[in-house]
Amino acid sequence: MDPFKGQGGIQMLLIAEQEAQHIVSNARNLRTQRLKQAKDEVEREAAQYRSHMEDEYQKLISENTGSSGSNVKRLEEETDAKIKNLKKSTSKISSEVVDMLLKYVTNIKT
Amino acid sequence: MNDADVSKQIQQMVRFIRQEAEEKANEISVSAEEEFNIEKLQLVEAEKKKTRQEYERKERQVEIRKKIEYSMQLNASRIKVLQAQDDVISSMKEAASKELLHVSHHHHLTLTHHDHVYRNLLKDLIIQCLLRLKEPSVLLRCRKDDLHLVEHVLDSAAQEYAEKVNVDPPEIIVDNQVYLPPGPHHHNSHDLYCSGGVVLASRDGKIVCENTLDARLDVVFRKKLPEIRNQLFGQVVA
Repeated sequence: MDPFKGQGGIQMLLIAEQEAQHIVSNARNLRTQRLKQAKDEVEREAAQYRSHMEDEYQKLISENTGSSGSNVKRLEEETDAKIKNLKKSTSKISSEVVDMLLKYVTNIKT
Repeated sequence: MNDADVSKQIQQMVRFIRQEAEEKANEISVSAEEEFNIEKLQLVEAEKKKTRQEYERKERQVEIRKKIEYSMQLNASRIKVLQAQDDVISSMKEAASKELLHVSHHHHLTLTHHDHVYRNLLKDLIIQCLLRLKEPSVLLRCRKDDLHLVEHVLDSAAQEYAEKVNVDPPEIIVDNQVYLPPGPHHHNSHDLYCSGGVVLASRDGKIVCENTLDARLDVVFRKKLPEIRNQLFGQVVA
């Protein structure tokens, strides 16, 4: 047997084994990379979702400010209307009430 | 075994080694992709859930704040209406109180018809007090301005009382030292004032019959308040 030929064969096997390790190692690295990528994508999607929710929330706040404002305005109008009606009623019966009070004050039972 | 066979076998072994490696790598890739997807879905869902819960809480707080604000506004509104109600009632009482001055207004040096009206009123007020006190001797206080009118009606009041309850006419001592305050004036609106009428007391001072016009107005006002409120607010829901 040619000693060189035997050496060459073993050498080829060793090289093949190293390349195999390399291939597997690469695959493992890719996996790690992929998982990290998953986290990155999660963060991006989460940020997107949060941004969407924040927009909805801000819209809600501005709507509430508007509706709260309109509610308050309506309430003020109702209140003012009540008070106006009250003053109208008062002016109608005021002299009548005053006369009634005076009548009792000056009507002395002895 | 010849060289060709050996070489062939080595080639087979090399191919086998590579094939094993590639299968392994492929397996790793596939499971990596699965892990990737599962991990991503789980994390995304967890983050979304957290975000959703956070914003649900914030929205609830907005709703609560909104309700609290409206409730406060509503309360302020109700108080405002109630205050307005009190104000109009007070203004009526004030108007009546001002009118009392017309009841008791008179001139010192002339007797007019109006003076007769007030004079008779004073007499009736005195008689009413005498009926309540039922004392043989009483003290009387009046406004300084009313003194001459009071003195004018004192005897007839005592006599009428005596006839009503069939007793001797009581002694009525008019206080010439201390008088009831004068009627109200704008420039000292917070001072004590008396719009007219009299205060009688037993000699020992323990029983007092306050029959000033202002006191009578207070009593009448308090008594008639439900009726007045009903006239004003019967149809108003505060």
